[in-house]
Amino acid sequence: MKLEAIKNFTAGQARIITKNKFGVFGSVVLLFFGLVGILTPWLAPHDPWVSLYGADGCLAMLRPPCLEFPLGTTIMGRDILSQMVYATRTTVLIGLVSGLISIIIGANFGLLSGYYGGKLDEILMRFTDIVYGMPFLPFLIVLIALFGRSLWFVIIAICCIVWRTSARVIRAQTLAIKQRQFILAAKARGCSNFRIIYKHIMPNLLPLLLLYTSFNIAWSILAEAGASFLGFGDPSNLSWGGMLYNLWISGKVRTAWWWFAWPSICIILLVSSLVFISRAYEEIANPRLKQR
Amino acid sequence: MREFIIRRSFYTLITLFSVATILFFIFRMLPGDPTAQVVSPALDEAAQTRLKHAFGLDRPLYVQYVLYLKNLVTLNWGRSFTTSKPVFDMLGYRFWNTIFLMAAGLCFTLVIGIGGGIIMAWRRNSALDVGSTLVALILQSAPPFVTGILLLIILSYRFDLFPTGGMLTPGIKLQSGILLFLSMDFLHHLVLPTITVAFYYLATPILIMRDSMLEILGSDFIELAKAKGLRPHVIMLNHAARNALLPIVTVSSVMVGFAIGGQVIVEQVFSWPGMGQLMVQSASCQDYPVAQATFMLLAVLVIVINLLADISYGYLDPRIKLVRSMQE
Repeated sequence: MKLEAIKNFTAGQARIITKNKFGVFGSVVLLFFGLVGILTPWLAPHDPWVSLYGADGCLAMLRPPCLEFPLGTTIMGRDILSQMVYATRTTVLIGLVSGLISIIIGANFGLLSGYYGGKLDEILMRFTDIVYGMPFLPFLIVLIALFGRSLWFVIIAICCIVWRTSARVIRAQTLAIKQRQFILAAKARGCSNFRIIYKHIMPNLLPLLLLYTSFNIAWSILAEAGASFLGFGDPSNLSWGGMLYNLWISGKVRTAWWWFAWPSICIILLVSSLVFISRAYEEIANPRLKQR
Repeated sequence: MREFIIRRSFYTLITLFSVATILFFIFRMLPGDPTAQVVSPALDEAAQTRLKHAFGLDRPLYVQYVLYLKNLVTLNWGRSFTTSKPVFDMLGYRFWNTIFLMAAGLCFTLVIGIGGGIIMAWRRNSALDVGSTLVALILQSAPPFVTGILLLIILSYRFDLFPTGGMLTPGIKLQSGILLFLSMDFLHHLVLPTITVAFYYLATPILIMRDSMLEILGSDFIELAKAKGLRPHVIMLNHAARNALLPIVTVSSVMVGFAIGGQVIVEQVFSWPGMGQLMVQSASCQDYPVAQATFMLLAVLVIVINLLADISYGYLDPRIKLVRSMQE
């Protein structure tokens, strides 16, 4: 029974995404990066931190893509393909964890504030306003500079901010649904508030929740890339932004196009596929958009 | 309207106060010696004690907090650990550099966004429309450092059309005040950072303008204008576009909030001597007084601009008033 429900749900979501050409493209790219993230240790041909020597016995410094090093090497003679594979894992991890945590925070803020209204609403929304006043990237930088460059601080700092947009949107939608007949009926039947919020209102917000999960993941990835590019990433967990930081401080931007190209292309691919999937959901969450 | 402005301003003050408070506690939670954020550990014992006393660091936390707020308001932001200059003096000129770049970038975004949105709605579902949507979404997915470096590689390194960074050519005679911002050399340096900022934020205004145009084009008064036999471009610009502009105002306030983040990156890529660059420098060399003050100033910027956008929105659409802040 439960399994059946999950199956139906997944099939339904898949139909929504695949109805849209962009959605199909997005999900294929996502699956690809997800797989690379899982299979990382088996896919990377070299240790990403070891300086390699070419077949000619010289340090393989700044080699353009060739048979030996398919994506080229860095100034330290490190294999870019291996770095890319490891960076995929870091980026996917940060995106998923902070995307999910922030949608959980945002959804609860929105649901509680929209459903209960009154004092609670006022408090929660004023708090959201305060978070809106925080400049995102500077906040990340300050937090990481103060507490150290670790992956988990990056994730916590991202979660502190990213939830704000989803909270406002979900609150607005909760306000609308709260007025509908079936909620009033559930209240009359004597359902608990908890049950109404999570069993009756939340399932109706599902397209919106998925839309904002996708957005939150995209924002988290962009934020992490930005912080890492500025030198505030976790040095032991390389990410695409971190690779570009290494390139930038090595001063070889003029010549080493391959070192610049691959991480940049991957960030754009991953984030845009999330944006495309969001757009597929937007047509569901906002049907007016579809008719056009 | 007046009540609306007063209430919004009141909330803004609360927000500012809260951000300052959060900042205070974040810097006090610093691992290790909490006084290290005001008093440079490099100073000798006697000087450290004197400074700690001056900042009230030898007193209880709540006294420190009151002192911190007082210093914040009276612009007494301490001295930099690295240059020993007063923080306020270091920030002064950088503030305007940042504002200027940000304003240029956002104006450029809005002009392309609004114009592009009108054209896309005009030729809806054409190759142009679909193509522009795709390009806007991809530009939005490219972090500003990728766009910025790409522009640098192509336009500066390869074709040498624009300077690779900075705000003025070294050695050029410095002009002061507004003249500086109007000099050819400055504008030449401004081009690439402006394009980078504009590209990153383009997707929001262009897609919203398009959607908003399409929505307006479906309404009765447009039918009426058509029935009157007005020419299509008159309907498009005078009737539809003017009404479709409203959502852009709301969105631009949110955009400015996000723009600060992009700004920091763009300033770093193009070595633009603004607050973002200072923020990164000070944070990476643990120059806490500077980092703290820069952060606060950036937050003030975001919060004040949000307030202005809210007020102008209430002014443009009187239906909204405070109802909006309650529903959204």
